Amino acid sequence: MRIIHPRRVGIGLTSLLAAWALSMSVHADARSDSLVVALAMPLTTVDRLYSVQREGLVLAQLTDDGLFHVDPDTLEFVPLAAASYEWVGETRLDVVLRDDVKFHDGSPLTADDVVYTFDWVLDRDSGTSRGPVIRGWLDRVEKIGEHRVSFHLKVPYPMALRDMAVSVPLRKQGTYAHTGIRAVEQQLNGIGPYRVTGFRAGREIELTRFEDYYQASPKANPAIKYMRFRVIPDQGTQQAELLSGGIDLMLDVPPDVADNVRHLPNVERLEGDDIRIGYITLDAAGYSDPNTPFKDVRVRRALNHAINRQAITQYLVRGSAQALDFACHPLQFGCEGTGPVYAYDPGKARALLTEAGYPNGFSFDLWAYRDKVMGEAIVNDLRVVGINANLRYVKLNVFSKVRNDRDMSAFFASYGGGGTADASAITGVHFVANTPRNYSGDEELAATVLAAERTIDPERRLELYRQALDRIADQAYWVPMFSYSQNFLLAPGLDLSVPRDGVPRLWQARWSN
Amino acid sequence: MMTTDTVKNPRFVAESQTDGEQVDTGLGLSPAKAALKRARGHTGLKIGFGIILLMVFLALFAPWLAPHDPYVQNLPMRLLPPAWVDGGEWRYLLGTDHLGRDYLSRIIYGARISLAIGIGAATVGAIIGVTLGLLAGYFGGWLDQAVNFLVTCQLAIPSLLLIMALVFVIGQSITVVIFVIGATHWVFYLVVTRSATLRLREMDFVAAARSMGCSRFQVAVREVLPNLSNQIMVIFTLEVAIAILSEATLSFLGLGIPSPMPSWGLMIAEGKTSMFFQPWLVVLPGLALFMLVIAVNLLGDGVRDVTVTDRRS
Amino acid sequence: MASYILRRGLLALLVALVVSFGTFALFYFATDPAQTIAGEDAPPEMVEEIRQEYGFDRPVSVQYVAWLGGVFQGDFGESYFWKQPVGELIREHAGVTIILALSSLMVTILIALPLGIGAALKPNSWVDRFALSTAVSAQAIPNFWLGLMVIILLAVMFPIFPVSGDATWRHYVLPALVLGASSVPAVMRLTRTGLLEVLGADYIRTARAKGFMGYQLIFRQALRNALLPVVSVLAVQLGHKLGGSVVTESVFSMNGLGRLAVESIFNSDIPTVQSLILIFVLTFVLLTLAADLINAWLDPRIRMG
Repeated sequence: MRIIHPRRVGIGLTSLLAAWALSMSVHADARSDSLVVALAMPLTTVDRLYSVQREGLVLAQLTDDGLFHVDPDTLEFVPLAAASYEWVGETRLDVVLRDDVKFHDGSPLTADDVVYTFDWVLDRDSGTSRGPVIRGWLDRVEKIGEHRVSFHLKVPYPMALRDMAVSVPLRKQGTYAHTGIRAVEQQLNGIGPYRVTGFRAGREIELTRFEDYYQASPKANPAIKYMRFRVIPDQGTQQAELLSGGIDLMLDVPPDVADNVRHLPNVERLEGDDIRIGYITLDAAGYSDPNTPFKDVRVRRALNHAINRQAITQYLVRGSAQALDFACHPLQFGCEGTGPVYAYDPGKARALLTEAGYPNGFSFDLWAYRDKVMGEAIVNDLRVVGINANLRYVKLNVFSKVRNDRDMSAFFASYGGGGTADASAITGVHFVANTPRNYSGDEELAATVLAAERTIDPERRLELYRQALDRIADQAYWVPMFSYSQNFLLAPGLDLSVPRDGVPRLWQARWSN
Repeated sequence: MMTTDTVKNPRFVAESQTDGEQVDTGLGLSPAKAALKRARGHTGLKIGFGIILLMVFLALFAPWLAPHDPYVQNLPMRLLPPAWVDGGEWRYLLGTDHLGRDYLSRIIYGARISLAIGIGAATVGAIIGVTLGLLAGYFGGWLDQAVNFLVTCQLAIPSLLLIMALVFVIGQSITVVIFVIGATHWVFYLVVTRSATLRLREMDFVAAARSMGCSRFQVAVREVLPNLSNQIMVIFTLEVAIAILSEATLSFLGLGIPSPMPSWGLMIAEGKTSMFFQPWLVVLPGLALFMLVIAVNLLGDGVRDVTVTDRRS
Repeated sequence: MASYILRRGLLALLVALVVSFGTFALFYFATDPAQTIAGEDAPPEMVEEIRQEYGFDRPVSVQYVAWLGGVFQGDFGESYFWKQPVGELIREHAGVTIILALSSLMVTILIALPLGIGAALKPNSWVDRFALSTAVSAQAIPNFWLGLMVIILLAVMFPIFPVSGDATWRHYVLPALVLGASSVPAVMRLTRTGLLEVLGADYIRTARAKGFMGYQLIFRQALRNALLPVVSVLAVQLGHKLGGSVVTESVFSMNGLGRLAVESIFNSDIPTVQSLILIFVLTFVLLTLAADLINAWLDPRIRMG
């Protein structure tokens, strides 16, 4: 019979490394003109207005500009295709456009194009992916000059610039009328620093530098001329491709893989923050079962004490990830809770459970759809204090069905919020009324969160968010888990600055030799 | 007629190295003793039986044999290589997994899952197949037609896809996996039972039993089954192997045994992301799976060679 | 014969309908495709809009009939996830699976036939033993695991073949090998037993004893008869390979129908799942039918009867 021989494993690993070293030297020749990036998710469209995946955001950084963008260093929302802007009262925003911006087809950007773009997004029948969000606050857009537009808001909305920066790339007037939605995907006419020159749905995207890009933009003159995005859903395949020179850059690399690769010569690793947090929601309202133990705040606090967030963060999430105490990401504006924090203390957790009438623990289903390893670690921590959690690990489509039906007693999930450095991104979706993610049943909290979202004054917003976050912590509606860390693996010689918000700006990439 | 055409499986026909000798060894002994004697001379059977005995032993006494609790995590100790490799530790003989759980213990406990699934699913399949076969063979007519339709469905449907869809929608658990695999693996039992029932129905002793006042179906059950036990046993063994592989495949695709249970297929799936760096995570459970399945197959082939003697007549 | 084919076709259609309604209902009650379409971070109002736009809020029977009506007009509907007509999607993915299935069938034939014939010509020899142990081992190796091992060995340790993908013929070598290996035991055993039986048949024995035939002639004659059942099993195996492609394509990340099916299940892309199951069922039925017909055509006894 075949038996695995210890030395074999050693030899295998060594030859593995040798093979890599070899292949790296082969593909490290001059390719200063092009960059090949692996994508894990199949992109079904290159039109950001219709894409929903995070990868679409990465791509849109290259092909599209909005009126505003997120400054990669400060994470603030600053003008991009806009020259300047001014708030007129709380519900009117006047924007002056740059006059040197050209679409990929050579035509100049005018106020008509801006009005067309936003009208298209506001139109219910256009079916854009962010339409419903924009319609939530934007009433209408008005042309007030050849390069001037005026935005009229339904309510005061401090995140207007964010939405314009992240969700609304500008389109040429009449774009969708002429070609229909599907055709636009083939020959996207944006104003970004790269043009789409090839697209095979779900497989490959080819970009070429747009030479007529406006020079005043911070994104002007990118070093690399051609970019290719190859869809490779399997992580192992991506690794192998990187090692054999098929790709130059891997995004979202699992920390284990990144760690291993760190020890290899000729592969580089970058590590950065990601404005994405992991959390557990507990059914405090008793939606799933009127008799659920989670209706008792002591049980919810017990869970907060029972899970070793620090260890999970340090050993599993790793990188720049941090264990969280509040329902927000530390980089976000407004993330300044002062409420109670729960230290890892299984003894205290057991005491709280006993007090609540569960000296022998209880059983429940913990639902999850991603980060299975962390889910398992949570389950194992709960076992220690006598709680028997069944990990119901399912795909998103099943998960959201059960969650939206309010049939979960607890779920472990994550939220990115488009990399927005503002607490509204997380509290807004999770604690306002009528969102299926809200299992707290706390109406006062919902009112506080909504008020914060409609307040322009920063001081007042800060205070409102502090109230909300403290309330969440005190009532232990969540077990906040950790912030994420982003790992990138890259071919040697590739220069890429680490994004603070987890969204790589590939226009910054360059080959150093 | 079409069903028997399409499910021709050469594995149920004896073909061993002992082909030529069978006639002699059987002479002058009772059938059982002759079978036993042949079994002693059958190398494959002995090897298979030996390995299975070992696996069953591991499964039954896992709590005493496993050096650690297979569920207890030790995050600082995660992803240790096997003890004899640099960086390994002797208290984790085969290393640890991504949560710092002892790999040896998980592999030992994994034997329980594979055996439970294998035997459970093959039993479910046997019950379905034999019952349908008896009904179809004995009563014939529209019942036979209906069963035939079921078989056609069964054969035409891409069963892996169907199982995946079912498990996906129903949810993952050992019971679900056992029943779903069992419910899609009963055709061979049915074919054998049905044709044997058809044959036996015409025979004298069945007629005799009927004349003694037994109901028709009682006759079928009482007289047909004992005559079939050898064949069913052979199919059963081979189906155990198939079920074990199906479970591993399902778990590998993420639709079988739920974590944190130590299913070998699931362990392979979990090790896959780092298989270029920590190959033992993929190699070891795969080897365990291979050993178990080959043993079950050897046993099945052996039992068939030993018991089915009338092939050349 | 014609009525037999017709009956068989109708039966297949019935099976396909039953299965497709079953899957439709299952997915309808247990999953929420809208969230997958919208993405994990999508706010509720966006999800709700998608739900209305795609008509997920209509009763299950209405949705099913709408889809089925389209199918009868040759329209398989539009994939929720890919936002592309399913027919187009299937055409794009079918090539990979067909090439994979055929090339793995070649692998099976190239390995299994020589082994089986060798084993039958010299029963109990080392060839026979080797053939049998190959069969026993091949049967016991989990296919997905074999794929991973082959990747580690032949794509990473000794980088002879690409790790994955489907761009060139070189990408098909390893997957075809792995998928082909899974059918070797069945085909090999059948060849062996079939040939043994024919070689032992009276007419061959008599011919041999009387010195009528040379070795080659016997071989040709015997092989022709022995291979009859093999041909039909090969057709059936081809059907199995379509199913097996689900696993192989996942392991090697190939953009074929198998992986499309798996991903569509995970995404609740119901029109795609439905259409794929329909196609798999029909293909399998056609293949078994073809097997029977080939058998009938090759074997004069069946033809006369």
